[in-house]
Amino acid sequence: MSLAIPLASIDAQTLVDALGLGAVYALMAVGIGLVFGVLRLVNFAYGQLVMAGAYTLAYTSDWPIVASIVACFAVVIMLSSLMERLVFRPLRTQSPAVMLVTTFALAFLLQNIALLIDLRDNTIGEAAASIAPLNRAIVIGGVDVRKITIVTLIVAFCALTALALLLGRTTIGLHMRAAATDFRTARMLGVRADRVISTAVLLSALLAATVAVILTVQFPLVTPDFALRDTIVVLVGVVVGGIDRLWTATLGGFAIGFASGIINGALPTENTVYLPSVLFALVILVLLIRPAGLFARGGSSLVERV
Amino acid sequence: MTADPVLSVEGLSVRYGAVTAVRDLSFSITPGEIVGVIGPNGAGKSSTLHAIMGLAPISAGTVRLRGRSLAGSVAEDVARSGIALVPEGRRIFAELTVEENLRLGLAGRREQAGAEADIEAAYDLFPIVREFRGRHAGALSGGQQQQLAIARALVAKPDLLLLDEPSLGLAPKIVDVVFEVLGEIRRRGVTVVLVEQRAQRTVAFADRSLLIANGELRLTMTPSDAHDTERMVAAYLS
Amino acid sequence: MSRHARALVQLAAPVLLVILTGLACGLAGRATEIEILSALVSVSTVVAVYVFVGNSGVLSFGQISFVALGAFTSGVMTIPLDSKAGVLPQLFPILRDHTIGNVPSLALAALVGGAAALLVGIPLMRLSGLAAGIATFAVLEITHNLLREWTAIGPGATTLALVPETTDALQATLGAIGVIVAAFAYQGSRLGRKLRATREDPAAAAGVGINVHRERLWGFVLSGALSGFAGGLLVHLLGSITTEDVYLELTFLTLAMLVVGGSTSLLGAVVGALLVSGIDTLLSHAEDGIGIGFTVNLPSGTRLVALGVLMAAMLVLRPTGVTGGRELSLPTWRKGEA
Repeated sequence: MSLAIPLASIDAQTLVDALGLGAVYALMAVGIGLVFGVLRLVNFAYGQLVMAGAYTLAYTSDWPIVASIVACFAVVIMLSSLMERLVFRPLRTQSPAVMLVTTFALAFLLQNIALLIDLRDNTIGEAAASIAPLNRAIVIGGVDVRKITIVTLIVAFCALTALALLLGRTTIGLHMRAAATDFRTARMLGVRADRVISTAVLLSALLAATVAVILTVQFPLVTPDFALRDTIVVLVGVVVGGIDRLWTATLGGFAIGFASGIINGALPTENTVYLPSVLFALVILVLLIRPAGLFARGGSSLVERV
Repeated sequence: MTADPVLSVEGLSVRYGAVTAVRDLSFSITPGEIVGVIGPNGAGKSSTLHAIMGLAPISAGTVRLRGRSLAGSVAEDVARSGIALVPEGRRIFAELTVEENLRLGLAGRREQAGAEADIEAAYDLFPIVREFRGRHAGALSGGQQQQLAIARALVAKPDLLLLDEPSLGLAPKIVDVVFEVLGEIRRRGVTVVLVEQRAQRTVAFADRSLLIANGELRLTMTPSDAHDTERMVAAYLS
Repeated sequence: MSRHARALVQLAAPVLLVILTGLACGLAGRATEIEILSALVSVSTVVAVYVFVGNSGVLSFGQISFVALGAFTSGVMTIPLDSKAGVLPQLFPILRDHTIGNVPSLALAALVGGAAALLVGIPLMRLSGLAAGIATFAVLEITHNLLREWTAIGPGATTLALVPETTDALQATLGAIGVIVAAFAYQGSRLGRKLRATREDPAAAAGVGINVHRERLWGFVLSGALSGFAGGLLVHLLGSITTEDVYLELTFLTLAMLVVGGSTSLLGAVVGALLVSGIDTLLSHAEDGIGIGFTVNLPSGTRLVALGVLMAAMLVLRPTGVTGGRELSLPTWRKGEA
């Protein structure tokens, strides 16, 4: 078996799908990276925000689409705000290890709460049917492109651009960037910690809700482990890319999404059973060579220092 | 006739665990004064500034800004009350542009009105900062960063400016520039507390200087005492 | 109190708890007996994880991989020969054609766990913090993937069944005590103390000549061996096992037990394991409907929610755990003082 064979099966279809996946993962990476930047906290429970959004969409399936989406955003924003108040805020003085384990516990907790709620009708899984039509394909230049992929790419592009503008051109964006670099000095200058943190958490929630909408179109059956796998992969991608800075985190998320999409599409199924092992072995390799992340600047970083 | 003090510190004690950095310190600052704070390394000079700024825990005593106690305030609230600190080591954000660094200082203003004018005034006072405004602050030299740090503090329009060893690590020529800037600030009537290692220069420059050793106030000196090195050394070593 | 007496007290506390639990088996009905045995096996698992995580301060999500390897190794090697070829036809001949006794299989499990830990630890022990967390998580994933797909070494995605259920009260108790004694001996030894020194301040420890990488490796390997052993106990308790039994949920539970008890002390590990197991059992029964004065009937799945809440609350309110992260120390009184 030579390398040429997998390469040859990368067709335009796979490429487009991989781009779409990369875009979704990039959005999630930003959500995770924003909160990390100001709170120095890895939110393992980020995927549960997406899950909550997806469940909301499922339970409001019979509402008009717009109302359903609004509900989704509302629920995700409320949940993330609760997380911030009840869990992140008291944890700010703790060691990174404690923060890690707590959000891990939180993720587990939320997943099981969802299970409890879901099981009230004695079946696992709820269907989010209303926006399914976006999952149908149109043909562009001989390639089947699902509408949702186009929407994803456009939304991701707009969201990332808007975010870049917010961070680069507004006062709150400046404050957030400063806080992510050196919170203590920023506060000494008068930057309001609460405002910066709330903004980061809000933006992160908006992104999670967006991802929830996009994913439920492609995967209308919502279960408690909705987006769990994706979150784990994105987290890995973010750390591998470099969690310290937003753009390296985003790039890491996109890269791992894109790579997953390509590999999944290019290799026939029999060969993909060991794919997780290969991917994770690569992750270990990268972390050994560059613990601060692939794209991070060389030298010591917060990631090593615990 | 004495004006009401801008800052009054009474019985201030700062403790880090078992170590007492500042012990029962009392002094007050009248508007428009430049007060120097000198003393050996580890004397508690920085700790005093940090305590005023809300960056270090106050274990005893009070700090009042225009009569109002700052007890329990966090740094961002102290900044917004009208005190600006130019910290030791400057603490510039290397990856932000010079202009962005400057604009960060606006966060401490009590009123945003007049912000643009004050930014321009800062550029006038520090032409080198204007010259580099679009570049990353990390590209600036130590002396230039020091000017940026002072400018950043000034645009917050503070009632009281605290400077923690601004000449640290700078070449003598640059130190001259820094003191020139401080002179200009004095001319504009800003109240300043200047913590410095360079005892003689500070004593000669400030309206009066407090000599702190071992966390306690040992001596108050005026510019006429600037050449009395014996007294200074004795106080340092006591 | 002399140093030796103090050490004895510190060791006695967790051992006593384990013995009491083991004795409780004799008083309990069959159903409860299984839960008590399960708690004792949890003690072994949590202490094994503590040996590394508690002493080094490095968060590892990967210790359960060694439990998994120990469990599957020990399980596969003790399936009766006559059935083995039938249920696991694709095994390597060396595994398929040989079967060993229960106790040797536990030793083998420890060996496999330790060897795997050595292999994994040599590169990984250089990492700290977030990088270590992700890297060890990757190890968990790789182990899970390999065990699930490689049918030449095990049952793959199917259940490994027909494993003799040889973990009784005596074995579970002795096993737990053995793991505790090993952990205690390690943490009191020079090796263990050197590792603890790296926990608070790796830079300072390196500064006094401690080879951080090597000390962590020792702890990791011991932890791996003990984890493998615990896995052996586990598989012989359940009589069957799947890869999902030694994956994310067990990782979470083990970490929860360690955190709730107090992640920096051996007593904490034991207390955490017993306490959380006890709560888990209580909640399990409540899910089936129990009478505690009135009938409590919780929807199924509540126990995991409750455990999650407990763990999160503990971390937020008292991060040092129930024991405060300390071993047991009796109040000292000195001769001649009033």
